[in-house]
Amino acid sequence: MSDSQGQADSASVTDTVVPVESLNEDQAIAYQVMAEVCAASGLGATAIVRSVQKPYMTVELVGGDVRNTFGKYGPGLDSLQFLCNFILMRRVRSDVRLLLDAEGYRARRAEQLQARALELAREVKERHEEAELEPLPAHERRIIHAALADDPDISTYSEGDEPGRRVVIAPKVA
Amino acid sequence: MITLIEYLVKSLVDDADQVSITEVNAEDSTTYEVRVSPSDLGKVIGKQGRIANALRTVAKSVAMKDKRKVYVEIVA
Repeated sequence: MSDSQGQADSASVTDTVVPVESLNEDQAIAYQVMAEVCAASGLGATAIVRSVQKPYMTVELVGGDVRNTFGKYGPGLDSLQFLCNFILMRRVRSDVRLLLDAEGYRARRAEQLQARALELAREVKERHEEAELEPLPAHERRIIHAALADDPDISTYSEGDEPGRRVVIAPKVA
Repeated sequence: MITLIEYLVKSLVDDADQVSITEVNAEDSTTYEVRVSPSDLGKVIGKQGRIANALRTVAKSVAMKDKRKVYVEIVA
């Protein structure tokens, strides 16, 4: 068994490459699935293991047409991640969960969401009125909540049902 | 594209030999008709169609490089 290694913060930009030889049997299967997806995609993509922190394994797709396909369209990357994890569940015995990235998309997106959160919070304070974001997947809603968690004048919560669940940014009532 | 859809679908079903994908080209769009063994239908559709929808979204992202519309249909 290899020890978990890699970045503590999965959102940070990293060029860490976890050597395939250091993966355990199930992690190696996960890597193989992603290598096969890359080969089948016709995008000229390559799969790189960026970090392993059990049960999570971050794999980034790079090269070819990745940037103008999965690298700019979050729902596509999330759907690919969902399908690959589903496929993996059938093939491995231990718990291995893929977190997919594509040409640094996750970090770019996180930065964008943080900036939106701060901007909206400013407006909410000015107008003393709630603001609601567009529906976001759970991991992206978390970025919004986290970005405003330390703001004493703002509270955030989510409402609605998946996949339409939205974050609401509200002025904190004293 | 067809190779990727085929890879994903074959990986999702029990009876990979029964998987066939047909590409139907229209003027500004391409439809991929996915056929699987009747016993595997539920596996490619998923609960509330989640698997089928994920396949569509993945196909849509890959098609972005050609700026083409794509449809994925599960054909019974």
